[in-house]
Amino acid sequence: MFGRRYREQIPELNTSSTADISFMLLIFFLVTSSMDTDKGLMRQLPPPPTEQVAPQDVNHKHVMTVSLDAHDRLSCNGTLMTPQQLTQEVMTFVESDPEQHVISIETDRQTTYEAYFRMQNAIVAAYRRLRATGGEYPMRISEQKPQEGGAR
Amino acid sequence: MRKMSPLFHKSSHEIPGLNLASLPDLIFTVLFFFMIVTHMRDDDVRVRYQVPAGTEVSKLQQRQAVVNVYVGEGKIQVNGRMTDLAHVAECINEERKRMSPDNAERLTVSLKADKKTPMGLIADLKAELQKVFALKINYSGTVEKTR
Repeated sequence: MFGRRYREQIPELNTSSTADISFMLLIFFLVTSSMDTDKGLMRQLPPPPTEQVAPQDVNHKHVMTVSLDAHDRLSCNGTLMTPQQLTQEVMTFVESDPEQHVISIETDRQTTYEAYFRMQNAIVAAYRRLRATGGEYPMRISEQKPQEGGAR
Repeated sequence: MRKMSPLFHKSSHEIPGLNLASLPDLIFTVLFFFMIVTHMRDDDVRVRYQVPAGTEVSKLQQRQAVVNVYVGEGKIQVNGRMTDLAHVAECINEERKRMSPDNAERLTVSLKADKKTPMGLIADLKAELQKVFALKINYSGTVEKTR
């Protein structure tokens, strides 16, 4: 009788609610967090214009004019084209004169942002493809102040 | 006791309970996955916008140095605050003060503008950003599937 030891077993921890708890945490994170990684086109703006700086004269043959009108029509040096064609045009133009070329961007105040974005995208695509072949191609882009033209 | 006669043999096997012991581990794994790949949404967006799609978009690095500017339906929001065109510069300066000097130097504006925003507004906004020397700008967009 006296030599008898406690043979009681420690009851197992009830873990059935762990799943519920972790589910709740999971749902909390799903709700409060966003999956979207921020993606976009990285650009550098020029410093603010000052009155002292006179506009530089650039030789016309170095300039390519890309413009978007109030109806989102894209044209390059006066001819209408698609963003894919613009990529090609920019590639041939930049390749012919990597050092001194200037791409002048003209927009209208009524142009939609989407059209502008597509145009920027096409230009970036051109530079990317050129740089993939090796060689240095500095981006020389000049953006003009949007015109007040409205619908024409 | 089992009945001896095969005629009246009923299966008295009970279906064993499903072992749920590994379920918490499983869910924890999913939880950790989500905790790692996501980040907290820091400001509630009160502007309705849909960013355009492009093929050349790249990931934006250094989230600490990023100021989000939302534009949609003529309304402008800088990080968590609604504002208007005249006060954008002020807001950017305030956000810059809140950053560490390192991050303030490479401050990047992530412009999340609606597709249909007229360029007039975007251009005015960019002029405001130039005034406070927030010159790095990221035109936010989604990835377009190339055919």
